[in-house]
Amino acid sequence: MTIRRTVLLSAAVVVALVAAACGGDDDATTTPAPPPATDAPADTAAPAPPPATEAEPPPTTEDTVALSQAGGRLAEVLDRGSVRCGVRDALPGFNFLTPDGEHEGFDSDFCRVIAAAVLGDAGAVDFVDLATSDRFTALQSGEIDVLVRNTTFTASRDGKEAANFVYTTLYDGQGVVVPASTGITDLEGLEDANICVAQGTTTELNLTDVMRSRGISFNPVTFGESSEARVGYTAGQCEAFTSDKSSLAVFKFEIEAGGGDEQFILPETISKEPLGPAVLDGDTEWAQVVQWAVMATIQAWEFGLDSGNIASATGDNPALGRFLGEEGFDPGLGLPSDFAVQVVSQVGNYEEIYRQHLEPLGLPLDGSVNDLWTNGGLLYVPPYR
Amino acid sequence: MTATVPPPENHPTGAERGAPARPTARAWARENLFNNRHNSVLTVLIGAGLVALTIYGARFLFVTGQWEPVRTNLTLLMMGTFPRAEQWRVVVQVYLLCAAVGLVWGGLTASSRDRARDAGVPFSRARLRDGIRRWWPVFVLLVALLGMTRTWLPLAFVASALAVGVVARRVMEALGAAWRGPAWFFAGICALAGWQVVSGTGGIAWWWGSALVAAAVLRTTRNVRTDARWQPLARFALIAGAIAVVRAVYAQFDFSGVGWDDWSGFQLNLVAAAASIVLAFPVGLAAAVGRRSTLPAVRWLSVGYIELIRGVPLITLLFMGDLFLGFFLPTEDPLSKVTRAIAVMTLFTGAYLAEIVRGGLQAVPRGQVEAAQAIGLSAPRVLGMIVLPQALRAVIPALVGQFINLFKDSTLLSIIALTEILRIRESIHGQREFLIVGIAETLVFVAFAFWALAFTMSRESQRLERRLGVGER
Repeated sequence: MTIRRTVLLSAAVVVALVAAACGGDDDATTTPAPPPATDAPADTAAPAPPPATEAEPPPTTEDTVALSQAGGRLAEVLDRGSVRCGVRDALPGFNFLTPDGEHEGFDSDFCRVIAAAVLGDAGAVDFVDLATSDRFTALQSGEIDVLVRNTTFTASRDGKEAANFVYTTLYDGQGVVVPASTGITDLEGLEDANICVAQGTTTELNLTDVMRSRGISFNPVTFGESSEARVGYTAGQCEAFTSDKSSLAVFKFEIEAGGGDEQFILPETISKEPLGPAVLDGDTEWAQVVQWAVMATIQAWEFGLDSGNIASATGDNPALGRFLGEEGFDPGLGLPSDFAVQVVSQVGNYEEIYRQHLEPLGLPLDGSVNDLWTNGGLLYVPPYR
Repeated sequence: MTATVPPPENHPTGAERGAPARPTARAWARENLFNNRHNSVLTVLIGAGLVALTIYGARFLFVTGQWEPVRTNLTLLMMGTFPRAEQWRVVVQVYLLCAAVGLVWGGLTASSRDRARDAGVPFSRARLRDGIRRWWPVFVLLVALLGMTRTWLPLAFVASALAVGVVARRVMEALGAAWRGPAWFFAGICALAGWQVVSGTGGIAWWWGSALVAAAVLRTTRNVRTDARWQPLARFALIAGAIAVVRAVYAQFDFSGVGWDDWSGFQLNLVAAAASIVLAFPVGLAAAVGRRSTLPAVRWLSVGYIELIRGVPLITLLFMGDLFLGFFLPTEDPLSKVTRAIAVMTLFTGAYLAEIVRGGLQAVPRGQVEAAQAIGLSAPRVLGMIVLPQALRAVIPALVGQFINLFKDSTLLSIIALTEILRIRESIHGQREFLIVGIAETLVFVAFAFWALAFTMSRESQRLERRLGVGER
């Protein structure tokens, strides 16, 4: 018995030694990597060329490591060849799956815009389906490059959640829908009503704030997701349902088209909901890239360029020429000079994206706040020069 | 009770046992349902309830139910965002797996037949009909799926895949005993190829090929016994050489597949559950044996693993695997989400299996071990030949219960943003035309898909119990 035990023990020791040796190997291979090539390592054979610009495509693997450790999300995306885009697959009009498994909607098109700008291929997007509650965690852990998930730009998200909102792609506001038959026309009519709302969203917070400040008591009926709150309202669990007005318009349209009761959206807008893409704090280069990619769709609209005519467009004025990347104009953003052409030809300009996905849902563009500034809307982008 | 060795001679077969005592339906009803006034009232009430329920159910299924969201999105539910251009891979995979299953089934039938012949007992060969009877929930699911598609292609696909399985079984049965070994190996190759036609041959794929070849070498050389001391060494060298060849062969192919992360829909539930079940079983077995080990280090390690994992909810573990690893691992090349999820599910289930198996180990009488030791069996043989077979046989219901749990728990993958079937179902209601249409129907469909497979697993486990005589001996 003792002999067997000795044998087993020695076997265990051998295993442990082997494991330790393997661990040692790992150390040996990983330790030289962290010091970046700039520190002039004494004896490593890495003949790293001095980095000219940060955005230069990485010629060797060592450089890739150094760049991404410096927070170079752009280099990482270029290296990977795809943009990881955080979305939600169940937001009508914004992003959902078609029966063919394709992502379709306003949000997913902006993911494609970013991919077209950075990689020249609108199809190079890895969509990551995120629940409301873990969208910022995904951003913070670096799992996604950009969050395009119907997310409201607020101070605490910019601050505490470490998100960096680069541009507002949709000016939305929160509203309340009730069945028209109830005859309710304003918030005061909702005294003691059950109101269906998605939990943990700014929607819930806004509702509580407004109702409290007006001294109206109500019973919130909370659901995990907006889609579930919608179902709860349809099933008659509440007298009212609150969400962003864009979703309410979709909802009203759907219920009435399906032969349901006529719905009434209260005229009051109880909050500002600027929705737009967000990246992680601390990487200005990547934030700029995303920002200008998104803004290119609006600039193109202003220039009158769309997916149909951009191929034949020529820069008869210098501003347009720069935008089209003629004569290799490069403002140093880290984007290819023809990125705007790629974005518009592969995805479209803002107007096209909006009209394709949101207008069929009962959200007219003309005359809304989401119209171009020249038409009296809020969409205004800095000049590209 | 088909395709198997009938029980030893002194056991009557099922038919003989049941036949004489079987009463007529009328007599049975009178005796059991209407034997006194109270019982009669109850029977009528419950019967009326059941009839009403059946009518409502049928009306929902065939008349009022809005199945359009399911019908339109059948492919989406089944394969989610899996790239449609790569769909052919799944088709080829199904054919190859059917062939593998057919060969295995045929092999089992053939060896049962041979053993029955040697024992001189009659043998009845299981037919496809018996298969359908045994697996009827799965076939109902298939019929429901095919009934909803409005084209002939899926029907042709299912029929031809079944045909491939049936033919493979026939071929295997017809083979002589000498050819059966290579045919088993071929079945392994079919399964492996079926797997790798989807997942590609890159990365660690050659491990599986090596495992198959190593198993084949061991099996072929198992009867070669000499007294030479170099024999184990020679066998080892043979295996190492074979693995080197496999590695070289794999290096020749550059067949890239579809990454884990592109798998979604019901396919993801199935693959994640199957992979976790297959991986968790050895883990649980090792932990159970380790917990009873006399070596303190091994025992403590096992106890630590089991108690640590069992004390934490699966959702928490999934979140930890998904989110925390994201903070620690380099972002350039993180493990795929699915891989992390399968690892977590394997660890979780492994801990539960360990306790189930330990229960079985404790049920084996001490005398069995002592008797085995007395005839000079080595410790691994005592475990492998005497203890484990009895222990595992005793815990089949609990084991299968755990597997069914794991299968259903695969829907939890949705909370870490994997688009398994439940999440796909939510997405369907993001489509404009189905925003509020058929919400109950899609849920019923998903529930039915799980039920069909889970119930089949349960039935198969009961069958296995009967075959192994659990609760009789």
